Amino acid sequence: MKRMISIAFALSLASALPGVAQAQSANAVAIDSNVMVERTTTDTAGRSQTMLEEPRVVVPGDKLVFVLNYRNNGVRPATDFVVTNPLPQAVAFDGTSDADTSVSVDGGRNWGQLATLTIRNADGTNRPARAEDVTHIRWAFQQPIPAGRAGRLMFRGVVR
Amino acid sequence: MTIKKLHMGSCGIVALAVASATPAFASGTTAGSSITNTASISYSVGGVSQPSVNSNTDSFVVDRKVNLTVAEVGSATTVVAPGQTGAYTTFTLQNTSNAVLDFALTSAQTAGGTAAHGGTDNFDVTGVTIYSDTNSNGVYDAGTDTAVTYIDELAADATVTLFVVGNVPSGRATGDVSNVRLTATGREGGTGGSMGAALVQTTGANTAAMDTVFADGAGVSDAARDAAHSDDDDYTVATATLTVSKSSSVVSDPINSTTNPKAIPGAVISYCIQVANASGGAAATSVSVSDIVPANMTYVASSIRLNGTVTGGVCNADGVAGGSFSSGTVSGTIATVAAGDTRTLVFQATIN
Repeated sequence: MKRMISIAFALSLASALPGVAQAQSANAVAIDSNVMVERTTTDTAGRSQTMLEEPRVVVPGDKLVFVLNYRNNGVRPATDFVVTNPLPQAVAFDGTSDADTSVSVDGGRNWGQLATLTIRNADGTNRPARAEDVTHIRWAFQQPIPAGRAGRLMFRGVVR
Repeated sequence: MTIKKLHMGSCGIVALAVASATPAFASGTTAGSSITNTASISYSVGGVSQPSVNSNTDSFVVDRKVNLTVAEVGSATTVVAPGQTGAYTTFTLQNTSNAVLDFALTSAQTAGGTAAHGGTDNFDVTGVTIYSDTNSNGVYDAGTDTAVTYIDELAADATVTLFVVGNVPSGRATGDVSNVRLTATGREGGTGGSMGAALVQTTGANTAAMDTVFADGAGVSDAARDAAHSDDDDYTVATATLTVSKSSSVVSDPINSTTNPKAIPGAVISYCIQVANASGGAAATSVSVSDIVPANMTYVASSIRLNGTVTGGVCNADGVAGGSFSSGTVSGTIATVAAGDTRTLVFQATIN
């Protein structure tokens, strides 16, 4: 399945949920992935402004915003709705403000809140997992997604 | 790869990326590599698990971030002696870019101004050449380390040690300072054996392909974001400044013996030659002292004592036997006179 949404050059985080294009597809649900670069610029008056741009010039250390738009295109509610996003290797997780998220630091074997996860050291001891250890992020919806409902999920990352 | 069931009984997720080994660099993801993101949904309809759905693949290329650091090593000046050859200062060059690059190297002598470790630059070393620490021992080894004008194919995060080597003119005084400056400029990498072309920062419209961004800070003599970095180090001359003085005292005479002896014929006279080295300079080694025994006096055999000390300007009766007497001349060698120290050669002669 291939679908595109228009990418606003300075996508406002507060804007209404953009509609995921209605696709003629065998799948009743759809998801679209967008990555934007967060840039903070300071104008001549000294005001700083944070913009989201398309990832053209991207160098290590740049902040990325991952935006996932989902939609239930079916005619029945979708239950057990789980969105999973494996983090690209070159991206370090930098948090999300979404509810109902859990993360994995071991390639998706174990899930939980970051604070509850541990990483095994080479010497067999464990240490608390850190944000950069995250390999996957997952949203598990408690409520069914009604037919026609769309939504947006978001998380942040940093180019390693 | 297995997934634990969610508390709400979700089905498995198919879009798990298999982690491939990507080396983690402090300088970051290698330029030109793609960051590709795909999300997936698993869900059920009417209690029946449905095939999971993958999103589009959002992909972009990590651009080239050019950054480097030239740093003087040791936080101290290189102390040199006048006329010293192969005097070296040590620098490191680190490629903190996310790409392999060549680096052009230039050295310069500054004229005047405050040197890297204080003092004012007031002379230039000569024959300045940049050497790479070929055997990676951190010390310049003449004949082993190779002279370089550029560093070839320096990997991301890699550091190379460089020496700026020069000769110190003779005749320089203690405290003279020569400041040297090393500048490295990033060049295109990728082709070994020759220095790559100048780097060009991507300006104007960005491209979806790999762009080049200069991210370096300002060095001592270069601006920020110019793909170059520079640092200073310096040489400080320390030389020995010797002064010699001679004194004599009557040790004994044939009449009074050692009680208030007088300089009458047959009296024994002790001569003390003081060699003082000015403080703040370098130690003088192998200091050769010679003195002609005055006319009408006879050298007392085996009376030379070397390396004695002085207290309040008065020679002490210490030191060790040594030296030689030949053709009316007393001579001896004092091994070391440290800066700020005074050492003596003492001998005795009788009045004829």
